[in-house]
Amino acid sequence: MKQDVQPLIVNVKRYTLVRNLVFGWLTVVLFAGFLLNFPKINILEHTARNLYFHVPMWFTMMAAAFVSGYHSLKVLQTGDPLRDIRALQAARIGTFFGILGLSTGIVWSRFTWYVGTDVWWNFDPRQIMVSIQLLIYGGYFVLRSAFDEPNRRAKISAVFNLFAMTALPFLLYVIPRQMESLHPGAEGNPAFSQITHPVMRLVFYPAIIGFIGLFWVLYTQRVRVAWLKYRVTQDSEM
Amino acid sequence: MKTSLAALFQDASQAILADSTTANTVSTAYDSLWSGADIPTQAPSALEQVMLSDEKIFVVLAVVLIIWTGIIILVLRTDRHLQRVERSVAENIPLGDDDL
Repeated sequence: MKQDVQPLIVNVKRYTLVRNLVFGWLTVVLFAGFLLNFPKINILEHTARNLYFHVPMWFTMMAAAFVSGYHSLKVLQTGDPLRDIRALQAARIGTFFGILGLSTGIVWSRFTWYVGTDVWWNFDPRQIMVSIQLLIYGGYFVLRSAFDEPNRRAKISAVFNLFAMTALPFLLYVIPRQMESLHPGAEGNPAFSQITHPVMRLVFYPAIIGFIGLFWVLYTQRVRVAWLKYRVTQDSEM
Repeated sequence: MKTSLAALFQDASQAILADSTTANTVSTAYDSLWSGADIPTQAPSALEQVMLSDEKIFVVLAVVLIIWTGIIILVLRTDRHLQRVERSVAENIPLGDDDL
């Protein structure tokens, strides 16, 4: 491979390898998720399989938030525009997985617990808190667009992004656990470890790894495009 | 709606009665809180009939399809950004200048 004058920001060989691994891995997870049998659960029935798809969305969003917050911290330390681009793209993909988690949760609950009620949204504490978290990230994107001067934008939005990262564990985990909810681990509900059949972990943990890998692929892809755009137009927004 | 409400209460009380006779009620997370959910308050709609058939496997399919659709939309958006960058590269950087 020809060596560039300016080094590439991403090791393309490693990216390609990880991308292929993730695609293969997720294909296996998808198959196993539908094929692996477990004891039938009342009310849930087959929808228990959504554990492999709905729950990893939130793990991925959390991982993305920490990646984003880490790069925001680096922005404050170094002022490097690449860090700013990384923080923004990680936040974007994290929000993307959050929206997927929210919409899959809506469909799951509608046809499992709210059958015959026509209820699509029941103000489950976790739903509300997650919506707030998504609004905080919406605020981050809007805040960025309010600045014309790139350095100011990078620094001020990095501070806001650190706040968003700090709020996330509380809004997604701590507060919903104190309230009555459809989710495991909430008030009066047994925790995940008590109600999940061990055989489901064979798919659940690989699914988390797979979706976090998918986050990495999508995020790296966008960082590459955004960095290219920055070098051509001096604009880090994307 | 009001008539069905009365029927619902009757159903619910019968269900509670039936539950108390069959030893302990279900104790998994969802059942204890949402036992009311398996008493239909209205006739299942066409959508529900599809989603609830075959032990609700189509709910899982719907969830997977939502994720898949999301990924497609994201990749298409990334692609559009890439196209814009490619266009401005073509406009701003003369041919043969490899030093981007």
